[in-house]
Amino acid sequence: MAYEKVEVYSPRSLAEALEILSQKKEQIKPVAGGTDVMVMLKDGALKEKELLNLSYIPELSYIKEKENHILIGATTKYREIRRSPIINAYAPILIEAVRQIGSPQIQNLGTIGGNLGTASPAGDSIPPLYVLNAKVKLQKVGSAREVHIDKFFLGPRKTVREADELITEISVDKMEPGSYYFFEKLGLRSANAISIVNAAGILSLENKTIKYLRLSLGAVAPTVIRATEAEEEAKGKELTEDLIERIAKLASEATRPISDIRGTAEYRKKATYGIVYEALYKILKGYGKKIEYGFEKIS
Amino acid sequence: MEVTVSFNLNGKKVSVTAPPAKSLLRVLREDLGITSVKPGCEAGECGACSVLLDGQVVTSCLVMISQVEGKNVLTVEGLQKDGELDPLQKAFIEEGATQCGYCTPGFIIAAKGLLNENPNPTDEEILEGVSGNICRCGAYPRIFNAIKKVVKKNGV
Repeated sequence: MAYEKVEVYSPRSLAEALEILSQKKEQIKPVAGGTDVMVMLKDGALKEKELLNLSYIPELSYIKEKENHILIGATTKYREIRRSPIINAYAPILIEAVRQIGSPQIQNLGTIGGNLGTASPAGDSIPPLYVLNAKVKLQKVGSAREVHIDKFFLGPRKTVREADELITEISVDKMEPGSYYFFEKLGLRSANAISIVNAAGILSLENKTIKYLRLSLGAVAPTVIRATEAEEEAKGKELTEDLIERIAKLASEATRPISDIRGTAEYRKKATYGIVYEALYKILKGYGKKIEYGFEKIS
Repeated sequence: MEVTVSFNLNGKKVSVTAPPAKSLLRVLREDLGITSVKPGCEAGECGACSVLLDGQVVTSCLVMISQVEGKNVLTVEGLQKDGELDPLQKAFIEEGATQCGYCTPGFIIAAKGLLNENPNPTDEEILEGVSGNICRCGAYPRIFNAIKKVVKKNGV
């Protein structure tokens, strides 16, 4: 069996983990919740012969506020994000996405840092991170750097993380009170489905005029993308059915999908139009989700 | 290349020596004689290998034995108390909620995990609570009824 050839290191502190990484570099793969790595191991797709088990490093699991930001430790589980009063109050779009990830079993294991490390274009926690202007903290022995989420992914399963670096923290902006948000996902069943298309958006309205729209799309390009042309089109305009149609069309045009077992490229383009249209239409008709309390809710 | 891991299994302390990346599922079945946990997809999608890990439902196929040191693991073998079946086990029998039975332990454990945290779930919460479990016979209505039965008793 494949697992018999694999060695596991289980450091008890971040310092110890970084030390091991600095020595092993490409030979070792960090593993947090294991929901991706264990499947790779079973399928014989794991090239590394050594694993760095991050599950005994409590200092990497936390959710805290820092002024207008929320800091999330890399090994914070989806379960904890879903139940966090801080995230509920200030970044509910992340909860909207996380509750659609996997199943209770997966949410009790999987971590936000793990989702970033796996770097699947279909990762469901990633589109919300784009619209929340997330920054990813990478640490190695003696230094740390922050990378904006826009610059973090290089392609499917590829990131800018160097072999001696560890993803240690994700920082996101708090959402503006009163803004609308959505996360829409198209999959084959409600649980444990890999997204065929997903979309996350934050819409800020002043009366009926759009202050800004932030829109990101997943599973339709080599990495998650921001639909910047659609965002530009929305800015300063009144939210109407006509405008929604134009935004959805620009979003669809921004995609560069592939055909795979879950759907064809053509289907993904059409589906992108559909889910973006529907999400914005719901807001127009008064069914959209809105962050009600924002900054006042918790102090 | 083996590791010795100690943890609490169904209320008893156990120590097991195994390859460090071996799954908890395989260790339970092959090294500890716990065969209620079923290998289905072994990719976290079917839920047949579900266990409670420190009270939370997880698919044991995705957990390395190296991650279980000092934890509490509960399988259906540990549900009965003094020879008395757990209310969920009784309800599954009474409602005929099994057909081939392969998925049953996983469903019972997922339901147990749900009810531990939320003794009075809504119908929607029940459905979400077992959404990570697949029954290929299609006994879903009876499985739902069995869980609902326990919830109703809890509610009294």
